[in-house]
Amino acid sequence: MKNYLKMGLTLMLFAIAVAVLLSVVYTITKGPIEDAELNVKLQSIKTVLSNPEDEELMIDENQIPESEGELKERVWKSTEEAFLYESSEYKGYVSSPAYKFSLKDGKPAYVVTGAAVGYGGYVTVMCSFVGELSNLEMMRIQVLDYSQETPGLGAKIAEKEAKERFFEIPKKALEDGLQVDKDAGVAAAKTDEQVEQYKEEGVIYISDIMTGATITPRGVANAVNTMFDYLKKELGGE
Amino acid sequence: MSGTMKEFSNGLVKNNPIFIQALGMCPTLATTTSASNGLGMGMATLTVLLMSNIVISIIRKLVPAKIRIPVYIIIIAGFVTMVDLLMHGFLYDLWKTLGLFIPLIVVNCLILGRAESYASQNGIWKSILDALGMGLGFAGGLVILGAVREILGAGTVFGVELWGDAFNVFIMILPPGAFITLGLLAGLFNWIGISKEEAKKKKQKAAKKAGGKA
Repeated sequence: MKNYLKMGLTLMLFAIAVAVLLSVVYTITKGPIEDAELNVKLQSIKTVLSNPEDEELMIDENQIPESEGELKERVWKSTEEAFLYESSEYKGYVSSPAYKFSLKDGKPAYVVTGAAVGYGGYVTVMCSFVGELSNLEMMRIQVLDYSQETPGLGAKIAEKEAKERFFEIPKKALEDGLQVDKDAGVAAAKTDEQVEQYKEEGVIYISDIMTGATITPRGVANAVNTMFDYLKKELGGE
Repeated sequence: MSGTMKEFSNGLVKNNPIFIQALGMCPTLATTTSASNGLGMGMATLTVLLMSNIVISIIRKLVPAKIRIPVYIIIIAGFVTMVDLLMHGFLYDLWKTLGLFIPLIVVNCLILGRAESYASQNGIWKSILDALGMGLGFAGGLVILGAVREILGAGTVFGVELWGDAFNVFIMILPPGAFITLGLLAGLFNWIGISKEEAKKKKQKAAKKAGGKA
């Protein structure tokens, strides 16, 4: 009996010691972790609001949020629930909050974060949509979370060349829903002009960059479609 | 001193945790899609192994034999969580790529194995050398595995392009590629070990013969 008590107490002491140490490390890293997460978010917002061709900011320099507080001022729609919108058609969702900025030329820009199913789980994408509902365009995307995608295959989605194939997409193409070239069954694009031409038709030509990985770009296309549906619903109702 | 060197070099080649002992197969197969992923995972494992070996070696006389395994697990799990939190805060990009596999270090049998079979029976200095040797052997194995798969599958090594896309064999990046590469490399390591042993035996035989004649 005495033996058991001793063993139990020893085990408890070790558990307490480790728990105390862990709480210390947790307290120390809490700030840096929040900073790191926020930085990624702010950086992505800045990227999707820059001109894809020359990387120049499309909004006023001092409109770019640089802290949690400034970011909060930009919130356009938010909800207490997990998602702002869910799409059963595209198996995607739009997460809260969505942000609104106004571009230098006066057009409104909506920065929305959404996700759809990829190869190993949800692929999370941040998108900027520009313009009024009547001529809404998708300007730029940033892939935020692709940690479940295969490195070297699906994870190529985060490379610049792959992301560029997703923008800019005009409203007409968004209206029909984006598709990747494998699903659309189109012929191989030989020139850059042809790639752009496909974009007009709502076809994302990507099989030359991401050979062997169709599911991940399909997930991104579906995430964009979900976000567009959401914007259409929100802006249409206004 | 030669004794201490032996503790260190043991894990590098002769008893390499991956290729000879076949320990920690889960992270080995899953994270080695590229050389840099392998290196990151190897370094995270090395850190946890080093810290847990030190602590377990210090407390080895305080822990009753019957509850040693739960105590080791508490310590290892604690260190893994700390590494996870620290990487999340300070090495965000690496943390993001390794993601799911960091918590899995807890169940890497290499770490519990070294705690049980080495650190719990030896002093701190020897345990540190053992952890460094085994940890570097593990990390080295992951880097080799990752590099081979990256070269054959994506035509790059540590992100540096070697040749165009045309020569790439995609299966090397997918799970089957991990098994194929691991099998071939384990075969190579064992072949080197066996042929060394045989050469040694031959030498001894020859020495014996020469000695007998004299």
